[in-house]
Amino acid sequence: MSLFWIVIRQLAEIEAMATSKKVITKEEWEKKLNDVKIMKEDMNKLVMNFLVTEGYVDAAEKFRMESGTEPDIDLATITDRMAVKKAVQCGNVEDAIEKVNDLNPEILDTNPQLFFHLQQQRLIELIRNGKVEEALEFAQEELAPRGEENQSFLEELERTVSLLAFEDVSNCPVGELLDISQRLKTASEVNAAILTSQSHEKDPKLPSLLKMLIWAQNQLDEKAAYPHINDLSTATLEDPAI
Amino acid sequence: MPASASVSSSSSHHRASPDLLVRLGSTDPEVKLRALREVKNQIIGNRTKKLSFLKLGAVPAVAAALDAAQSELLIQSAAALGSFACGFDAGVRAVLDAGAFPNLISLLSYPDDKVVDAGARSLRMIYQSKLAPKYDFLQVENMEFLLSLLSSENEPFTGLGASIIIHSCQTDIEQNTLCHAGVLKKLINLLEGSLSQRDGSLESLATIMKDNPEAASKFVSESGRALSSVIDLTKDRYPRTRLLASMCLIVIRNTSPCHLQDIGIKTKLVYLLLELLDDPGQVGEEASFVFSSLITQKEDLQKLAFKANALDKLHNQLLNYSSHPRRFQGILLVLADLCSNLESCRSKFLSLKALKLVTNALTNDNADVRAAACICLRSVSRSIKNLSAGHFTNEVIVIPLVRLLHDPCTSVQVAALGAIGNIVVDFTTHKSTFVKCGGLKLLVQLSKSMDPTMRLKALWALKNLTFLADNTCKEGILLELTTPLLSSLICDPEASVQVQALALVRNLVDGCINSVEYAFAENDIILDAIGRQLQSASKAEIGIQGMYVLGNIASGNEFHKDAVMHQLIPQVNDGDCSFIVKFLRSNDSQLRTAAIWAIINLTFPSSPGASSRVIKLRNAGIVSQIKTMVNDPSVDVKLRVRTALGQFMAFSDGSA
Repeated sequence: MSLFWIVIRQLAEIEAMATSKKVITKEEWEKKLNDVKIMKEDMNKLVMNFLVTEGYVDAAEKFRMESGTEPDIDLATITDRMAVKKAVQCGNVEDAIEKVNDLNPEILDTNPQLFFHLQQQRLIELIRNGKVEEALEFAQEELAPRGEENQSFLEELERTVSLLAFEDVSNCPVGELLDISQRLKTASEVNAAILTSQSHEKDPKLPSLLKMLIWAQNQLDEKAAYPHINDLSTATLEDPAI
Repeated sequence: MPASASVSSSSSHHRASPDLLVRLGSTDPEVKLRALREVKNQIIGNRTKKLSFLKLGAVPAVAAALDAAQSELLIQSAAALGSFACGFDAGVRAVLDAGAFPNLISLLSYPDDKVVDAGARSLRMIYQSKLAPKYDFLQVENMEFLLSLLSSENEPFTGLGASIIIHSCQTDIEQNTLCHAGVLKKLINLLEGSLSQRDGSLESLATIMKDNPEAASKFVSESGRALSSVIDLTKDRYPRTRLLASMCLIVIRNTSPCHLQDIGIKTKLVYLLLELLDDPGQVGEEASFVFSSLITQKEDLQKLAFKANALDKLHNQLLNYSSHPRRFQGILLVLADLCSNLESCRSKFLSLKALKLVTNALTNDNADVRAAACICLRSVSRSIKNLSAGHFTNEVIVIPLVRLLHDPCTSVQVAALGAIGNIVVDFTTHKSTFVKCGGLKLLVQLSKSMDPTMRLKALWALKNLTFLADNTCKEGILLELTTPLLSSLICDPEASVQVQALALVRNLVDGCINSVEYAFAENDIILDAIGRQLQSASKAEIGIQGMYVLGNIASGNEFHKDAVMHQLIPQVNDGDCSFIVKFLRSNDSQLRTAAIWAIINLTFPSSPGASSRVIKLRNAGIVSQIKTMVNDPSVDVKLRVRTALGQFMAFSDGSA
C-alpha cells in the first residue's frame, strides 16, 4: 500500500533527525503532511475495497457511479454472499448452507472446518429453539461422524451438546455458544471462505492500514513528541504533549 | 425454482432414503429437481452421506439427469456428481461407472454459462483423483481443447485445464507435446491470474518440467519474467501459493541446476519450507514432501538445513503430529534425507532422543509411516560410529524391525530390509540378538521371494550379516540358507541379485581356512555356479564380486587353489579365451584389480604347487597378458601387477 509507505518514510526521516526526543509542532507536522502526495484514485480504491469486502453492495454501486472506481469483483456476487451471511446471522443455517452450495459446491466440500462450524451452528439453533430430540438426533447423525474424523471437532461437539445438560443455559459455562456473537463468528467464517473461493482477499485493507498507523505512532513516540491522531474516526491532529 | 430450497428442511438431515431414489427417477421435473438438490445438499462436505447414497445406488440416478433438457436439472446433477467425486475415490469410480464422464464433457459446450461452469467444476473434481481416465494429449483435438480451457477467462475452465495436466502428464513425450503446443505460454499468463489460477498454473508447470531439462529450458526462455514471477510467488501472502511456487523452483533446480545458480535461492527455499512446515493444515503436510525433494541426495542443501536448525523443528513436529499419518510420514522422510549423509545430523538426531520416537513409529498402524520409519533408521544407521556404539542393536529396535519383515505391505518389508542391512553390519555380539529373534530365518525366506527387489534387499542384508562374522555365525547362516539355494541365487535371473549373492559368498569364504570350505559344500555346487556366472558375466560388478570370491578361495590350501585353477583354465579348451583374460582386459579398473588379486593368491611363492600353476597360467596366455599391464593407468592395478610379476619371476627360467 503506497500511501502507508509514504507515511512510514516520512516518519523514518523524522526519526533519523531526532537525536533526543524532538518536539514537532502542529504547524510543522501539517506542512510535512501536505508534502505527501496521495493519489485520489488510490484512496477511492481503498474505499471500494472496503465496501466490496464488507458487502455493502448498494453503497459500492453508488460509489462506483460517483467516483468512477471499478470494483475488482462482480457486484452481483456480493448480493449472494450477503444473503448467505444474513441467513447465518438470523439463525437460518440450513438455508445458508444451501445458498453456499448453489454459489459454489466446492466451498463446503473442501473446507471441513467451515462445514463443521455451520453444522455446529445448526445444532446450536435447534437447542436454542428447545428442539431437544431433534438436536440429539442431528448431533448423532450429522456431527458425530465428523467428530470421528477429527479430534478437535469432537471436543467442540461435546462442548455444544453439553448445552443440553443445563437448566439455565444463559448462565452455564458454555453459554457463550448461544450468544449472538457465535452466529456472527460463523457468519464471518462463511463470508471469508466465499471471498477466498472468489480469489478475493478475505479482509478489507483499511483496518490493517489503521493498525499500521497505530504501530507507527507507537514507534515514533519513543523518539519524538508530535501531533497524534487519537480519534481514528475524525483523524484530528492533537497538539503534542510536552 | 430456488424457492423450493427449504421445503424439505425438517427432515433433510435424515438418512439417505430409498424414497429419494424414487423421486430422483420421477418424470415430474419439479420433483426430480427437488430430489437432486436434496442429494447435493446432503452430501456436500459429508463423507458418510456420500457413502450411504453411493450404497443406495443414487449415483446412476443422479447421472441420468444429465440427459435432461432443463438447465437447472443439469446444474444440480453436475454439482451432485462433482461432490460425489470430491476427495472420495469410491465416488469417482461410481460416477465413471455410471457413464457420466462423456455427458459432463458435453455440458462444456452448453449454451448456458451456469451449466458450463457446473460441468467444468465436476470434471475438475474427477481429474483430482487418480481414478480419472487418462487424458490423451497426443490427439490433436484434445490438445486444442486443453488450450481453449487454459485460454479461457473462466476460472472453472482454467482450473479444469490445470487439473488435466497435473493428472495426465506423466511421460517426457507428453511433457514435450504440451511444451510444443504452447501450453507453457498459457500457464505463464495464468501466473498473473487469480489465486486459484496461479496455484493451478504453478502445479501444472512443475508437472511439465519434472525431470525434463528441455521443458525447463523452454520455460525459462519462453519469457524473461517467467522465472522471476515464480520466484516472486514464493513471497505470496497465501501459504499454498508459496508452497507451490517453491515446488516449481525445486523441480527446475533438480532438473537443470544451471537456471537457478543463485546461492541465495537455496537458503531461501530451505527457510521458506521450514516455515511452511508449521502450517497446521494441508500445506504443512505437503511441505515436508516438497522439502524432502529439495534436500534428497544433496549434501549442500542438507548442510544448509542443518544450520537452519531443521532437526529441532522436525523433532518438535514428530512430537506433535504422531497422530497425523501423512504428516508423520513426511517428517520421517525429511529426517531420513537429512541423516543420509551428514554425521553431524545423525549425532544431533540421537542427542534429541528422536530415535525413540522413530522406533515407536515402526509399530504405527499406517503402512506408509512404518516404511518411512524404516527408511529413517536406515539413514541414521549409515554410520560406523553409531553402529559401533550399539545404538541400534538392542531388542527395542531389532525385534519390531524383524517383525516388519513379514509386514503385509511390500514397501514396508523392503524398507525394513534396508534398515536391517545396515544394522547387522560388523558387530558380532549384536548379530546374535538379530538371529535369536528370528531375523535370519525371515531374511532367508525373503530371499526366495518372487519380487526381485525383495530378493535383492534380503541378500544384501544377509551379505552384511556375514561380513566379518565368526564361524558359528557363518555356519548358522549357511545352514539356514542352504547350499542349493545359495547356488541358485548366484544364477538368479536378475543381475543385481547375482551380484549380492556373489558378495555374500565372498564374505562367507573370507577369513580362516575353515571358511573357505563353505564354497566346497555339496560337491562344489557353489563354486561351479560361480564359474558359470563368470563365464557369462553381463556386468562388471558380477565379475568383480566373483573374482574376489575366487581370490579368497585361492588364499586357502593347495586343494583350494587347484579348484580355482580349474575354474580359470578349464580342462577342455574350446578355443575361447578364459574369462580371466577378458577381465584383465576390461575397462573397469576394479575388475582388473579383482582379477589380479586371484592370480597373486594362486602364485604365492611359499606354496608348494605355485610353480606348476605359474606354468599353467603361462600356457593359457595369462602371464603374458599381465606383462602388458605394467603401466596400467590405475595405480592400484599397477601395484598388483608388479606384485604378480615379482612372484612369476621366482619360478621363471630367466625368460620371464
